[in-house]
Amino acid sequence: MSGRVIVITSGKGGVGKTTTSANIGTALAKAGNKVVLIDTDIGLRNLDLLLGLENRIVYTIVDVVEGRCKLKQALVKDKKNPNLSLLAAAQTRDKSAVSEEQLKDICEKLKKDNDFILVDCPAGIEQGFQNAVAGASEAIVVTTPEMSAIRDADRIIGLLAAREEIESYKLLLNRVRPNLIATNDMMSVEDVVELLACDLIGIIPEDTGIISSTNKGDPIVNDEKSLAGQAYRNVARRIMGEEVEFLNLEEDKNFIGKIKDFFEKTIKEIKAKI
Amino acid sequence: MSFFTDFYNKVFSFFKPQDTAENNVKDVARSRLKLVLMQDRTNLTPKILEQMRGELIDLLSKYVELDKELLELNFEQEGDQVALMLSIPVIRAKDEKEIEEAIKKDALLKGITLADDEEDDTEEETGTDELQEETDKDSEGNQDETLPQETSEADENGESQAEDTENKNSDEENVQETV
Repeated sequence: MSGRVIVITSGKGGVGKTTTSANIGTALAKAGNKVVLIDTDIGLRNLDLLLGLENRIVYTIVDVVEGRCKLKQALVKDKKNPNLSLLAAAQTRDKSAVSEEQLKDICEKLKKDNDFILVDCPAGIEQGFQNAVAGASEAIVVTTPEMSAIRDADRIIGLLAAREEIESYKLLLNRVRPNLIATNDMMSVEDVVELLACDLIGIIPEDTGIISSTNKGDPIVNDEKSLAGQAYRNVARRIMGEEVEFLNLEEDKNFIGKIKDFFEKTIKEIKAKI
Repeated sequence: MSFFTDFYNKVFSFFKPQDTAENNVKDVARSRLKLVLMQDRTNLTPKILEQMRGELIDLLSKYVELDKELLELNFEQEGDQVALMLSIPVIRAKDEKEIEEAIKKDALLKGITLADDEEDDTEEETGTDELQEETDKDSEGNQDETLPQETSEADENGESQAEDTENKNSDEENVQETV
């Protein structure tokens, strides 16, 4: 078996890299794939919290590279899904604790008996980014429809395009708010895609359910009713090569929009009668 | 019937958000980002863009009479390719004679500015502050030393002379001044 190594990156912090990693990883595992999530945000680890695994971590990625344990010992299995495991970041060290070569080596080893290795990248374009990208051949660039997030995503796309090892990179647009797009207060999906000139792999609507799912340590893809969960499950299916249509987020209309629709309908009916 | 639709439109234009430039935050964001991304990607500063614009006006004015104020130089995204879009409002095409004259004048101007540069270089040794500044600008602006100076001269002409046809005379005057 030779697994695919996908790095999840963004440039700007706080746009949802870790949430995306946790959810895509869980969704891929639920679909029957063997998945390892690697948290490379050394010093600021959070992926363990989102998966609810914070109490089970014994060894971290730094312990692996410094020879205190074997790679297999450091992989923490998910509570619900035995297909999913986590290689956690160390909390007490910094980004220089692991080198590009060491991360590449870990990815190569994990490729042998896993379908997907998802690398959660730290914010920024410094060494932490270089390390996270080192072992990957695919990338998902997470951004939101905001000025600074888009500008930073553009920088990241430039850096990824310059790397020969990265065979493909796709855009994941997170925290989309259809009601703000409808009132022209937020850039639309089309606007962002046009600006960044990058293919889309997913559109995730803003969802308050994300907050409670993080608090519970249970990724939102496990909630069958959630729209964001549905969107993340669709991303996982696209990664697996399926063609899945993007969710139609526009039906989420505000009150005035609904009244307007009602009046338009009745006017049409009156017209038809006359 | 028309009463119904009129009433409907009146009622809902009240609720509808006005699509004015100020209200349309999305378009403001998009155009701001467009410019910033192009600058990030190409490393072209507004100053260099302005210089490029000036040089293009000079070049094109030899062949057509154009509206300098309305000439637009923009970047456009076409797929993953960045294209430079130039929109030139043409007032009228010049006839053969005028074009020939303009080309001759241009050649003359280049010859003179080259000579001018040489003069600057020799006089630099004498150490006049102003001249030193001028040559500094030339060397940092462009490898081809004649180009930046040429445009700055043309820009001055453009501002002082509204009529393109009268430009030639003033160009010649200006050249004489610099010599």
